[in-house]
Amino acid sequence: MWCYEKRLQFPVKINKTCPKTAQLIISQYGGPDGELSASMRYLAQRYSMPIKKVGGLMTDIGTEEINHMEIICAMVYQLTKNLTPEEAKTAGFDAYYIDHTAGVWPQAAAGVPFTALEFQSKGDAMADLYEDLAAEQKARTVYENLLRVIEDPDVREPLKFLRAREIVHFQRFGEALEMTKQKLDSKNFYYFNPEFDKKMFHQEEQ
Amino acid sequence: MGFLDDCCNTGETLAMASLPLQEWCEPYDWKTALSNGTIFPCLNMEFYKAEKIPCSICKEEGQSDQSKKLNEINAVSFAINDLTLYLDTHPDCKNGLALFKELTQKRLELLADYAKQYNPLTQSSMITGTPETEEYGWAKGPVPWEGGHV
Repeated sequence: MWCYEKRLQFPVKINKTCPKTAQLIISQYGGPDGELSASMRYLAQRYSMPIKKVGGLMTDIGTEEINHMEIICAMVYQLTKNLTPEEAKTAGFDAYYIDHTAGVWPQAAAGVPFTALEFQSKGDAMADLYEDLAAEQKARTVYENLLRVIEDPDVREPLKFLRAREIVHFQRFGEALEMTKQKLDSKNFYYFNPEFDKKMFHQEEQ
Repeated sequence: MGFLDDCCNTGETLAMASLPLQEWCEPYDWKTALSNGTIFPCLNMEFYKAEKIPCSICKEEGQSDQSKKLNEINAVSFAINDLTLYLDTHPDCKNGLALFKELTQKRLELLADYAKQYNPLTQSSMITGTPETEEYGWAKGPVPWEGGHV
């Protein structure tokens, strides 16, 4: 279960309204490599992980991704909370404004709504861990793309923090991959699926 | 089969990725882990376009006592978050566990102190910080996304 703490993992205090910036960073809320997608991915995959410690790591990283989602949402909120209709029109935020006013809703930068199709839970530890490693890299790329075009230091500081986390998570998923490999036969890691062919996996373990 | 045995008994095998396990590297002071994005200097890999961002959470001057205390809680809590992921994959690391114990104790004290002086950030600190309270104070204080006390 989860407990709420009344603080952000990394503080957000943005003074300038900027719907254009909100429209870009909202992708890290509801976009293909966003934090919502990341948290749901790891929190879905963990149930059937064959190695208990790997499931534990997925719980902890998935939980941190929820913190990151809250940071992104706080940024979108602060960038648009004093929005005028005029600003919405000139900054290209008009379509979002018509559907959501200044409410926060998960979508990608290009307007595509959040969808579970953005992530997989394949039921195969190797396939899932490779997806997770790739997901951290893709999210790092998005943060770097944002850092190239956004100038407001109040926005850049949390983005820099979030980018740094992707690298740490990548390392941890790599370690999870190594932990999984250790329990398999290095002559053929693909002889069976440890997440599904449980009998064969438990024989291997002994 | 001799050739295959030789090739497959090494750490690296065909059709499989491998990544070295992180060894313990002397961590940053917990107060600076948050601004670095990790407690481990060996995992802090900067992006050239983000090197010169001023660090608002590092500045102590001009900040209210409440802001300073919240920053301290954020810092110690983050150091614990990062250490948690490390310990998930390094459960036998004594250095990691010792630091985890020290920081967790520190965090509990800071949370209780903050609840006593300002408002609770966790439900349990409402009780540890203000045991005599006659009032349920969970709704007190700013909502986190408004940017208060940064």
